[in-house]
Amino acid sequence: MSKNVNRIILGIESSCDETAAALVENQGGTFKILANVVWSQVKIHQKYGGVVPEIAARNHVKKILPIIDLALKKSKVDKKNISGIAVATGPGLITSLLVGAQTAKTLAYLWQKPIYAINHLQAHLYANWLNNQPIKFPAVCLIVSGGHTELILMKNQTQLKKISETLDDAAGEAFDKVSQLLKLGYPGGPIVSAMAERGDAKAFKFPRPMIQNNNFNFSFSGLKTAVLYASQKFSPKKLKSYKLKANLCASFQQAVVEVLRAKTIKAAKYYNAKTIMLSGGVAANQLLRQTLEQKTKKMGLKFLTPKPELCTDNAAMIAAAAFFTKPTPWQKIKVDPNLSL
Amino acid sequence: MQKILTHSEKQTFDLGKKLAKALRGGEILALTGPLGAGKTVLAKGLAAGLGIKKTINSPTFILMKIYQLKAKNLKLKANKLIHLDCYRLKNPQEIINIGAKEYFGQPNTITVIEWAEKIKSILPSGQTKNIRIRLKGANHRQIIIDK
Ligand SMILES: Nc1ncnc2c1ncn2[C@@H]1O[C@H](COP(=O)(O)OP(=O)(O)OP(=O)(O)O)[C@@H](O)[C@H]1O
Ligand SMILES: Nc1ncnc2c1ncn2[C@@H]1O[C@H](COP(=O)(O)OP(=O)(O)OP(=O)(O)O)[C@@H](O)[C@H]1O
Ligand SMILES: [Mg+2]
Ligand SMILES: [Mg+2]
Repeated sequence: MSKNVNRIILGIESSCDETAAALVENQGGTFKILANVVWSQVKIHQKYGGVVPEIAARNHVKKILPIIDLALKKSKVDKKNISGIAVATGPGLITSLLVGAQTAKTLAYLWQKPIYAINHLQAHLYANWLNNQPIKFPAVCLIVSGGHTELILMKNQTQLKKISETLDDAAGEAFDKVSQLLKLGYPGGPIVSAMAERGDAKAFKFPRPMIQNNNFNFSFSGLKTAVLYASQKFSPKKLKSYKLKANLCASFQQAVVEVLRAKTIKAAKYYNAKTIMLSGGVAANQLLRQTLEQKTKKMGLKFLTPKPELCTDNAAMIAAAAFFTKPTPWQKIKVDPNLSL
Repeated sequence: MQKILTHSEKQTFDLGKKLAKALRGGEILALTGPLGAGKTVLAKGLAAGLGIKKTINSPTFILMKIYQLKAKNLKLKANKLIHLDCYRLKNPQEIINIGAKEYFGQPNTITVIEWAEKIKSILPSGQTKNIRIRLKGANHRQIIIDK
């Protein structure tokens, strides 16, 4: 990133169920979010108990231009002064990704701007840069979201290496499925964690999958199944009890957080990390944030996590990632639902 | 119809591995069973049996994951495994929209589908093998394989 240059990037995100646009400025290395608009389809998907890909794509088509227009208006940036357009090209749902990519390509072509193809997972990482705090390397970064649970080693601000991943379900997926099991609704993460606040985390002894293993990989399907077994011990009538559900949620959340903490800390020690970063949708979870922050500080390391609204999907993080990415000719922009780090 | 009881994750994984040995290309394995039944475990076993080294994790969020196969024996004509998960779908049309249906029954493709009941109407019956998994309490599963 060159110092003393003022650049403004328009970010576009449509990989899953949020349609989002943002304008992010970087002046001599300092980030400023000029506008950050997210239109969530949560309400639409709620009645189905989850994202319905077909509906998601159709809504992206309807919302994407109004959202971009709104972001431009809010930021008061004239499109003449935009230095480039960044768009998430994967991973995600193909039908949703295509909407964002096609829009970005069209605008880039019309406005004659460079375009940046952004890996959505890298963007979750670069959301940390929006805090404008100096970052010491090496850094161990936990990305924990609906589709992913991975540890990444950053040797400097552009060198990333995947250390580990989940062997089955992602942590956010486990939150969503537990919510479904207990008939609590969608999206599971915020609902389960809100319930958990009213429950006893010691009420149920759930496993801490892989916590003792020597590697850094995760596994959450066993925990999902443990919640299933525990809930099957009660009659459907008993299962309606708020207290019982709150206890199940609290015990489940505690198990997830402990595993995420243990593995991240183990990796940080192994790689002599100076910084620990936490991002992705599940990073919005308060217990996870507090637990990891406390532990990191005790070790004398620096802890970074984006504001909760920059943890879940947004376009400011897509724009932020563009400052670390080379542009791609618009003709070569391709979406890849299975893109990895 | 074949009914098998497994008593651990490993046994279900090994069953998947064994089933893989009979695959040639073009088969569609339609897995059904509730949350936590072991559909992903079985898919992992299949993938291992097909020689895939990469981590196979749950495709619930992304709907479809594609893995390349290296020909190990002459009988196996397929060069890719498609792992689908229809948990989030409301309408089979969505599977058509993401281009997954084009793979069904192709001689160079093996398809394994979690929550296959959600797209039953678009599965080619001739090439589809139904595999149902039933929970029989902690660690026990009944696996019912058609044909
Ligand atoms: N407070 C919370 N506690 C736990 N989980 C949460 C919380 N808030 C959101 N989540 C979870 O975060 C996930 C959404 O994260 P995100 O928006 O990054 O996912 P995604 O973009 O769909 O997936 P990916 O980034 O892997 O492609 C959902 O599974 C949701 O339940
Ligand atoms: N005999 C068994 N066979 C398979 N899995 C078992 C068995 N006994 C216990 N398990 C456990 O059950 C869980 C199965 O989870 P898995 O994610 O594979 O289920 P799934 O059917 O794919 O669920 P989902 O509907 O969420 O996709 C694993 O945690 C596994 O360890
Ligand atoms: Mg995300
Ligand atoms: Mg599964």
